[in-house]
Amino acid sequence: MRSNAGSLADLQRAFQDYVLANGDGFAAQVRDTRKADRVTLLDVYRDGYALRLIEVLTNDFPGVLAMVGLEGFDVLSRAYIAAHPSRHPSVRWFGRQLADFLAATGPYDRTPALAEMARFEWALGEAFDSVDVQPIKAEAVMAVPPEAWETIAFAPIPSLQRLTFGHDVPPSWQRREQVESGTLEVARLDEPAPWVIWRPGRVSNFRSLERDEAAMLEAMIERQPFPALCEALLPHVEEDQAAARAAGLLRAWVEEGMIGSFSP
Amino acid sequence: MEKVGFGLGLRHEHYEEILAAPGQVEWFEALSENYMVAGGQPLHWLDTIRRDYPMALHGVSLSIGSIDPLDEQYLRDLETLVARVEPMWVSDHLCFTGLRGINMHDLLPLPYTEEALNHVAERVMRVQDRLRRRLVLENVSSYVTYAASELTEWTFIAELCKRADCDVLLDVNNVFVSAFNHEFEPMDFLRGIPRERVRQFHLAGHQNNGTHIVDTHDHPIIDGVWELYAEAVRLFPGTPTMIERDANIPSYTELLAELDVARNIAKRITVREAAEPALSGAEG
Repeated sequence: MRSNAGSLADLQRAFQDYVLANGDGFAAQVRDTRKADRVTLLDVYRDGYALRLIEVLTNDFPGVLAMVGLEGFDVLSRAYIAAHPSRHPSVRWFGRQLADFLAATGPYDRTPALAEMARFEWALGEAFDSVDVQPIKAEAVMAVPPEAWETIAFAPIPSLQRLTFGHDVPPSWQRREQVESGTLEVARLDEPAPWVIWRPGRVSNFRSLERDEAAMLEAMIERQPFPALCEALLPHVEEDQAAARAAGLLRAWVEEGMIGSFSP
Repeated sequence: MEKVGFGLGLRHEHYEEILAAPGQVEWFEALSENYMVAGGQPLHWLDTIRRDYPMALHGVSLSIGSIDPLDEQYLRDLETLVARVEPMWVSDHLCFTGLRGINMHDLLPLPYTEEALNHVAERVMRVQDRLRRRLVLENVSSYVTYAASELTEWTFIAELCKRADCDVLLDVNNVFVSAFNHEFEPMDFLRGIPRERVRQFHLAGHQNNGTHIVDTHDHPIIDGVWELYAEAVRLFPGTPTMIERDANIPSYTELLAELDVARNIAKRITVREAAEPALSGAEG
């Protein structure tokens, strides 16, 4: 081995530091060519690193991009890349912490709709390739004997997520391609709005929830038995109407393919 | 080598077109990481297309050359995917992609030293034991030359094949790109790779910046790479060939037309090689 050669470990660390822009020492370990100096060549890696990850975020967060515009998104992405380097073998998971980052980091924390948009888009991505479970059919529920309704508990399909937004996020997201980049406005709501995302087949769905429905869905997600689902409605409906409302909501969820299983 | 023929990279942009135009390619190469997910459309399409076509699995994050420990979870996910797809072979890149737990999502070249050779050979053998099959490793495009390198890239690869009993995915475009960037003769590279180890060819387009070439997979294949491909076919006849396109992705039909160029080159070389003994006999 040549006397000036670093060990494999030293070389790899120096190379990574260069790409992450944490140090330029690696430049001494590589050669110029007749056509290009080593910094030009090394910067293929340094520039490529950020550009590749920005592209991933661009694909995963088109709504955030529509809000801040190309230039703003570039700055935002570079800040995120520096704060949260990828720790997963697949770029599929790179954006997992973007919503939390935007909620906690200035100047983005001053526009809370940004973090909400990122949370919505990440949830859509999670629904897209989550575990496949065939939703139960209405006939299966109709076959449940009356005495079982005292204890029966339902479970949502794995892709189902409940979200609450203080801003008009999903309707604004649907307009993301109709507006000029950087001009998507996401209005603040008077009251936080409950939403649900789920994927009953190959295509993901999302819709808003009534307040009583949201409360009952929360209880269902916690695997509470049917009587407790009825109770969850009580702050919102009269006691004598709770069972009928719960039955109606349950029927709608089954028809929409939100429920994966039930246990007696 | 059993005939596998000509294939394309499986890209989601083409799923519908692949179903609508069956039998246009002999096989597909699926990017392993794209299908290391729990469910949904990616696995649905993978399973659907796999029913009709043989597949190879091609990874980008094994990081076989890294000094970080092998990623156990990644290997488990790969084993699961291998069981699902039953691929013809499993490939990744001769490089490192991460360090200190950070994935760079880039194919960073190794120094071609005895130390690196020992390190990689030992890891290749461990992965092969785990997957119970030979690993197929691809030569990467690279932009920098380590001052520490003691071996040529092709000597490094040939020696690795010998020590670890692994195979080679010969990326013809990467040979062209690295030859330009590192100022070596691409034919020296091709002649340095052991004939019996080459399991597959890759072809792709790139971007020439004048002073250096970047392996972008976003352009059609250029004439110089086609010429080198003809030489590769001559040296490694019958090797399965596929085209990689990862950005600026054209229609399936357009890629099929590009794949026909590869088919025609391979056919021309094969016919000529078969005719040559007869011709030289006639002349003698």
